[in-house]
Amino acid sequence: MAITEPRTTGRAPEPQPHWLIQWLTTTDHKRIGILYLLNSFAFFFVAGVFALLMRSELAEPGRQLVTTNGYNQLFTLHGTLMIFLFIMPVLFGFGNYLVPLQIGALDMAFPRINALSFWLLPVGGLTILSGLLAKGGAAAAGWTSYAPVSEQGGAGQDLWIVGLVVVGTASILSAINFIVTILRLRAPGMTMTRLPVFVWSMLATSLLALLATPVLTAGLIMLFADRRLGAYFFNPAHGGDVLLWQHVFWFFGHPEVYMLILGAWGIVSEILPVFSGRPLFGYPGVILAFVLITALSFSVWAHHMFVTGQVEFPFFSATTELISIPTGVLFFNWLATLWRGRLRFEPPMLFALGFIALFLVGGVDGIWMASPAMDFAIHDTYWVVAHIHYVLFGGTVFGIMAASYYWFPKITGRLLSRKLGYWHFWLMFLGFNLTFFPMHELGLRGMPRRVADYLPDLGWSFLNQVATAGSFVIAVSLVVFLVNVALTLRRPRTAAADPWEGNTLEWATSSPPPVHNFDRLPEVRSNRPVWDLRQRRPAEEQA
Amino acid sequence: MVAPRVARVGLAGLAGALLAGCAKQGATVQGQQIHDLYVLIIILAAPVFLGVEGALLWCVLRYRRRRGSDDGPVPQGAGGPRSLGVFFAIPTVIVAFFFLYGERTLADVQRREPNPAVELRIDSFQWQWTFYYLNEGFFVTGRTLTKEPVIALPVGAPVHVRLEARDVVHEFYVPEFLFMRNALPGRPNEFSFTPTRIGTFRGQCAEFCGLHHDQMRFVLKVVSQADYAAWVEQTRKAAQHVDCDPSGPLRLVSKDNSWNTGCLAVVASGPFVVSVSNLDAGIEHNFAVYDKPQRKRTYFQSPRFVGVAEQTFQLRPLPKGRYYFECDVHGPAMSGTLIVK
Repeated sequence: MAITEPRTTGRAPEPQPHWLIQWLTTTDHKRIGILYLLNSFAFFFVAGVFALLMRSELAEPGRQLVTTNGYNQLFTLHGTLMIFLFIMPVLFGFGNYLVPLQIGALDMAFPRINALSFWLLPVGGLTILSGLLAKGGAAAAGWTSYAPVSEQGGAGQDLWIVGLVVVGTASILSAINFIVTILRLRAPGMTMTRLPVFVWSMLATSLLALLATPVLTAGLIMLFADRRLGAYFFNPAHGGDVLLWQHVFWFFGHPEVYMLILGAWGIVSEILPVFSGRPLFGYPGVILAFVLITALSFSVWAHHMFVTGQVEFPFFSATTELISIPTGVLFFNWLATLWRGRLRFEPPMLFALGFIALFLVGGVDGIWMASPAMDFAIHDTYWVVAHIHYVLFGGTVFGIMAASYYWFPKITGRLLSRKLGYWHFWLMFLGFNLTFFPMHELGLRGMPRRVADYLPDLGWSFLNQVATAGSFVIAVSLVVFLVNVALTLRRPRTAAADPWEGNTLEWATSSPPPVHNFDRLPEVRSNRPVWDLRQRRPAEEQA
Repeated sequence: MVAPRVARVGLAGLAGALLAGCAKQGATVQGQQIHDLYVLIIILAAPVFLGVEGALLWCVLRYRRRRGSDDGPVPQGAGGPRSLGVFFAIPTVIVAFFFLYGERTLADVQRREPNPAVELRIDSFQWQWTFYYLNEGFFVTGRTLTKEPVIALPVGAPVHVRLEARDVVHEFYVPEFLFMRNALPGRPNEFSFTPTRIGTFRGQCAEFCGLHHDQMRFVLKVVSQADYAAWVEQTRKAAQHVDCDPSGPLRLVSKDNSWNTGCLAVVASGPFVVSVSNLDAGIEHNFAVYDKPQRKRTYFQSPRFVGVAEQTFQLRPLPKGRYYFECDVHGPAMSGTLIVK
């Protein structure tokens, strides 16, 4: 059995600084990964509270809880924080922790840039939130901030712009770091065709972030120039064009959607094989699907703009429908992975299965909107709200929860409680469907998005109440998760190096891994090096 | 494993409720075509949805690890080029069919009516609609935040719309028509529809347009041809019979983008003064006097000024008669009749 030599420094250990200083100055990808996760879940909490406030306001017609301006700020901040400060960074957080481990590297390629790109996140996020203290409140033009509405509003809108430029810069830096790490720092034998699927998903995410985020940054700077420097990019009265913002925003925004889901596909594609006892079915097909989707995602942006009536309908509906083909391939491969396996229903597996069941809904209800004529009936209604949440909550957040249960023992050395995990899963699954499934019907009944109030005689009240009740069930499920984490962290570190019988290299090192990641790196001869190791061991023992 | 079964069955039940056709039937020719497309997509999507969820459920039930059963090796096959080809082929066929049908419906919905019975220009701003009946020569609008405009259209007659916006992006949306279209500043949109069902339909702005987006509503009544003719006559007369008496200094107050009055009256006796109070913070208004809503002759036009502010304007003497005044920024939704007696 070929094993690389342990890396030793041969120096006497230096005195350790205070633990807080260590964490604030760390360049270790694992600690930065943990910081990413903590920061992301903190923003998840804030944005989740905003969601509960919105759902409470919408439970009944009339104004009960917040002002109209307050409501407009809530949905703007909810979307902005969930997308830019929870989902995106939480995926980069798992990526930070896992990519070097999964490719058998010592750290990320640029550890200091890695630390910088993390610390920009709380700065950008708090900049956006600080708008709440500004005169007139925080940004209130929606997470898409369509011009010219976004050219109105006070300092809160400027803080939103500046905060997003900072967060976007963090994404660009992370993306470069991931790409270089994955291309240059792989262990011997870790060819691109043996790369773990999660690493592939992070590579695709990073390519998208690198190519798309600068476009958003450019748009934000144009918007700021219009607002504060007397420019007219989006002002038709002076030769500007209101549609320019939408084109720029969605040229970024649609690849962004794939940045938010590719990581979850990677996570699920790691977890399903482990708990099925089978290899990932059609690994080359999954990678091909990732690559095709990454490429196609730059050609579909104007499907967000069908209702403008001023885009090339056949082109954008064709590319949008084309992108459903590789997505369909992913579903086939996931099902074929389960097929004839031996399934173990640990919490990570439950969340991964929940992901498939719910993401499918988000995929199928998207078919309606891909056809421009049908889109005219449901775009800008609650149908779209249902769709985006089936993709990003039923999809990505269930994937994130699967990842949390799956890698918690690796990160902390402790296994989360299985029983509380089951409670968390079933409550979240129930609450999620209660909240978001009725929104399809609300959309069909004509309830537009982003309204603080609705008339009582339209027949929307009951479904809104169901959705509100569901949102509180989701909140309870997340409290169960929090309790699970808190209780588990008080227990001793007893998790084995490989508690799940994993496939990838992170399970070949201790839980949690040492600072230098690996004492001994197993040989890589397939995309399941640790599985190979387990298969070889009994044979060696017999011999 | 009873719980997962219950939940999955529940999910399928919820999906069934959707499939049962909760979508509205379209109240226009075009809306009905969109409804047909909706049904077609259900027919295509339901087997895919149920097939995948069913296969998932089957795997969960059939391949779960059983306690005490044999622990033989799990098959380790991971597919090859053939399964890859099949996996790509199935969705490709579905998508191709769906695309072609969708394009056909799109062409029908987008087709412009060559001989419309009613020609409408719909104008929008924060947060009001104005409906110009181009052939009938009048307009209908509301009072922002207090009164929504109510318009009528004849059943069975093709309507052509030119849709415009004055400030930000708005969206014309009538759920029963299964149709929405952006109103874009600087980029007018045109579309046609033919109402097929008599009824009262609520319309609403569907593109977020700032603070009072949720209040930007209108009511659209589809009525018989005879009722429509009567409504047109009545609306035209009402516009001509606005009247008020001269009483003291002329004063206009704008609040929430509405004037305090739709009628000003003055006795013909030389120059007169109009004071305009703009209570809308950060919003521009002005005061202009024309012959008619078509604005062929301009008698007076003040500069625009941002609220909160008050300005007083001196007007030259006007001959006796009826004049049309408006705020040029917001158009007929902020207009009225100036009567010189």
